[in-house]
Amino acid sequence: MSERSVSRQRQEKQWYTVLAPEEFDRAEIGETLADEPDKAIDRTIETTLGDLRNDAGENNTKLTFRIRELGSDTAYTEFVKHELTRDYLRSLVRRGSSKVEAYVTVLTTDDYRVQIQPVALTTKKADASQEQAIREQMVDMIEDAAEERTFEDLIDSVVEGRLSSAIYNEATTIYPLRRVEIQKATLEALPEEVAEEQETSVAVDE
Amino acid sequence: MAEDDGKWGIAHVHASFNNTIITITDQTGAETLAKSSGGTVVKQNRDEASPYAAMQMAETVAEQVQQRGIDGVHVRVRGPGGNQQQNPGPGAQATIRALARAGLEIGRIEDVTPIPHDGTRSPKSSGF
Repeated sequence: MSERSVSRQRQEKQWYTVLAPEEFDRAEIGETLADEPDKAIDRTIETTLGDLRNDAGENNTKLTFRIRELGSDTAYTEFVKHELTRDYLRSLVRRGSSKVEAYVTVLTTDDYRVQIQPVALTTKKADASQEQAIREQMVDMIEDAAEERTFEDLIDSVVEGRLSSAIYNEATTIYPLRRVEIQKATLEALPEEVAEEQETSVAVDE
Repeated sequence: MAEDDGKWGIAHVHASFNNTIITITDQTGAETLAKSSGGTVVKQNRDEASPYAAMQMAETVAEQVQQRGIDGVHVRVRGPGGNQQQNPGPGAQATIRALARAGLEIGRIEDVTPIPHDGTRSPKSSGF
């Protein structure tokens, strides 16, 4: 009896093909299994940039997508996270050089709230004041970048490495840098959520 | 469903010094396709983490998922992590090898041991 019900349950489950958002050319990311469509929504799926672009050289970047919408047998996703793999980040860190990290939460022009974490690695040990200057430079540049870009553009410049190379060129004058990367970029709130928060905060003020 | 081919899954391998737990899910990690742990193949508790047990487990799990139409897996290995050992236990290596031997393609192998960004005090060293 119980065996039969299990097999029936399995038959009812359906595979959905998960597609990347438009920014990533709607590439196929993978498949997921669900018995009810509602259960597939809000699942997250992780791939590397190399897999998405068919380019094995870029496997140090992980991208996470969340399922937003379902078609009949396809699932549409939105970007939620960009992250360097742990082993790659660890390989960058060396003895006798400094690692400068920063955490910046910014609002893009189209009201997405995004947290960006840049990391800079110097050639030799930097003084605290130099580290501080580099950190300030990174924070400023990211805030400027977010102010004039939409969410899509910002994510594109993070993923393509344009933002990190821009920071490299500016901050390397402060102290010689070996490498600058964006170690993480996370979507924190959608425009609707940001708007909602603002409304509620006004209500509290009054 | 078995005639569908080319599907990938994720093999989560939790390898501690006392046990090995293998869970194979779909690519979102939300749907479990097969799972196994040390106790299903050995009698003695101390053998649960052994490479032999891991091999047996990986074989049965691989067969189960192949029936469901999976022919490749990405592997996520983890040790106990937190304030305990950061390194995966003895079952991790054996599991990956056995999965490959059972005919599953192995994609990326990633270490997902939870690393504290400073947490509670670690247990006193027990000498290894």
